[in-house]
Amino acid sequence: MTRRRVVITGMGTVNPLGHDVESTWRALLACESGLAKTTLFDASSYPTTFSAEVKGYDFARQFPNASRHRHAGRHCQFALGAAMQAWRESGLDDYKELDRSRLGVYLGSGEGSLDFDNFTSLLVDAWRDGRLDTVRWSQLALAKMDLHRETEQESNMVLAHLAGEFGVAGPAFNVLTACAASTQAIGEAAMQVRRGDVDAIITGGAHSMIHPYGVTGFNRLTALSVRNDEISTASRPFDLTRDGFVLGEGASILILEDYGLARRRGARILAEVLGYGASADAFRITDQDPAGAGAAASMRAALDDSGCSPGDIQYISAHGTGTKQNDSVETKAVKAVFGDLAGKVPVSSVKSSLGHLIAAAGATELITCVLAIRDGILPPTTHYRTPDPECDLDYIPNAPRKATVRVCMSNSFGFGGQNNTLIISACR
Amino acid sequence: MADRRVAITGLGVVSPTGIGIKPLWESLLNGKSGIRPISLFDAGKFPCHIGGELADFSARNFVPKDYRKAVKVMARDIEIAVAAANLAFGDSGIVTRSAGDDKMTIEPSRLGCNIGAGLICSDLDELGSAINTSVADGKFDIRAWGSQGMNNLTPLWLLKYLPNMLSCHVTIIHGAEGPSNTITCGDASGHLTVGEAARLIERGSVDAVIAGGAESKLNLMGALRQTLLNRLCPDGASPQQACRPFDVTADGTVIGEGGGLLILEELTHAQARGARIYAEVVGFGGACDPAGFDVTRPTVGGLAQAVAKALADAGIAAKDVGLILAHGTAVANEDALESAAWEQAMGESARTIPATAVTGAIGSLFAGAGGVELAVAAMALHTQTVPPTVNFSTAAEFCHLNLSAQPRGAEIEHVVSGAFGTGGQSGACILRRYRK
Repeated sequence: MTRRRVVITGMGTVNPLGHDVESTWRALLACESGLAKTTLFDASSYPTTFSAEVKGYDFARQFPNASRHRHAGRHCQFALGAAMQAWRESGLDDYKELDRSRLGVYLGSGEGSLDFDNFTSLLVDAWRDGRLDTVRWSQLALAKMDLHRETEQESNMVLAHLAGEFGVAGPAFNVLTACAASTQAIGEAAMQVRRGDVDAIITGGAHSMIHPYGVTGFNRLTALSVRNDEISTASRPFDLTRDGFVLGEGASILILEDYGLARRRGARILAEVLGYGASADAFRITDQDPAGAGAAASMRAALDDSGCSPGDIQYISAHGTGTKQNDSVETKAVKAVFGDLAGKVPVSSVKSSLGHLIAAAGATELITCVLAIRDGILPPTTHYRTPDPECDLDYIPNAPRKATVRVCMSNSFGFGGQNNTLIISACR
Repeated sequence: MADRRVAITGLGVVSPTGIGIKPLWESLLNGKSGIRPISLFDAGKFPCHIGGELADFSARNFVPKDYRKAVKVMARDIEIAVAAANLAFGDSGIVTRSAGDDKMTIEPSRLGCNIGAGLICSDLDELGSAINTSVADGKFDIRAWGSQGMNNLTPLWLLKYLPNMLSCHVTIIHGAEGPSNTITCGDASGHLTVGEAARLIERGSVDAVIAGGAESKLNLMGALRQTLLNRLCPDGASPQQACRPFDVTADGTVIGEGGGLLILEELTHAQARGARIYAEVVGFGGACDPAGFDVTRPTVGGLAQAVAKALADAGIAAKDVGLILAHGTAVANEDALESAAWEQAMGESARTIPATAVTGAIGSLFAGAGGVELAVAAMALHTQTVPPTVNFSTAAEFCHLNLSAQPRGAEIEHVVSGAFGTGGQSGACILRRYRK
């Protein structure tokens, strides 16, 4: 049985460097930094005072029909914006024969943020003698907490809004495998198309954890960079002086569809999804497998699925978070998979400029792979100054590089050990 | 691809009626409910003070000794998943890494995991005691919190509440190194994970997968949100009889806690090791309701489409189905839409084929529901018995499903089970009787 080919026909993004694909790409190639002092809340006394926020995004003004989604949370607003760009680019809007029951959605979206002010003041106001007075809490909660503010926190609500906006009646999934979520979503979405369960599918991810409890959580884990005096260069994947990742936010959405459908309706094909691989470290919740076996297994599974050999891969978009552990483990894993070719295939982490968009990271990075193929230029790892003996690959330091690339690999490794890899190519 | 068939070889259930599939199955057959007054917390001013609470439950008894410390960083949802996984593997006869690295009877990279999860609420007493170190003039002081207060939280605090930690702990304990996913689509999660897990086996990525879901919304935030959604029944005379799916007196659901995990295994792999096979997974369908984002309106998430797709995927007609395992939330307007959806998907057959729902016995388990429902579906096929619908006596006017308060013997070749949740996603699975 010949399997259905899966192609990308639309892309959209809202992220710390831009509110669309082209401005983001320009900023990445210009080595701009999306990092700045955190403004979404007062983080001035936190161990980490900065982040990579989406700046100046005005949903009510920028999104047509925004009032229909007036309850949408911050990350959902990003997702709607990104999805509208992707949807329009795909041209599916004008394709009247599209069977909506064969249009799916497979997202890697994070949870919405808490109603912080009410939630926190209730914990204070209902605190009696060292514990929560639940009678008082329940009374206050019923008076103050809002139905929509509460329900929008469930991570399937972004999915629900996108389904509503684009009339999706087919299968709908949300995966939340931490930092790997949107890569996993895109991979599984591709499987839906390949198997024939859908003709087209909206996929990608959205997340914002730049809120008082999100940053608290990561600061307590000591996972974040604390380079408060060198904010714009704080995200330093693969550099010896890296001291943690930088929390970002945003959404990136892609439209995948059956190659035959794309051809029939004359869509512009941006790239083809060749392969998808997944694995679990099954090691520890706090650490990656230090040998990188899980990460390597994910890359190998994607290679097998794509029919590519390591020699076919011309660029690797790394997970490259800028934590001590990830970058050395990922380097080890690339070496294990690519052998002698490891030093020759260029690898970069756009997290150096964008920060880490958590559930939305993988989809954003895959978009940069599509653009690298389109424009023949590879985005750099910025802020790379001091080589680390444990990280000795070609990281495309500090400046974009011209290169003709047809096949790219993109890695995402989730906290807790869920690993995912995608391979895409120019469409034959 | 379809030549790789998918068998169910293990059932792991944690539910308000007890730990394991057996107490649940028995309580269903006896018409008993596990709903009781909530003891985990005082539900205060909330209108509903009953729930499907797990009695004397701790994951400590379900993890290897050297992993007990990790239970401290498990939210209750994670504890439920870890316990259900232990039960499911134990039931399947597959020996995992929990017995020791050298004892594993399946290749680690060929064992996958896909566990549905919900929004996990942080423990309010734990967070509250930290927050209240950072209060000035009766107000939360974020600067004090940032510089000092947050240090009162355990460093691993965040990891207790990440929904992917259900899967992660399970893969670590059991050495499952194949693909690992976490699906978060409310009540539809369990069916969606099982559907996706079956696909993993079909396409040859793994030989076995642990799939299903687990959740506990039996806490203050869960109670608040369900109260705001107006989905809960008010307190009545008898907690055991409070949750009455499809009954004329149905007036809301009850929050339960629990989950179900199933071992799905490639058929010849299961046969080769002489495994007990409960049933086969032969069809799956997913769908959604584009209007689902408006949570003020009831939705069944396009269930009719999901069921129709699952039937088509299995290559069977509605009349080939011997049991409909309905979701039956006992929220009256959801029950009405659900009944109509079954009729839309299955026509007249939906009125004659025996049907049942488990919510009356255990309440709503949200992401934990689907795995439990599918475990019950597998038991129904295995024992050729239609379990009764606990607390059902008189059908609501809109309900045309063939429900009964009594257990029924039957010739069941296929079960169709479907579920849907707030937000508007649905999933349906077809299980087939296994014959050697």
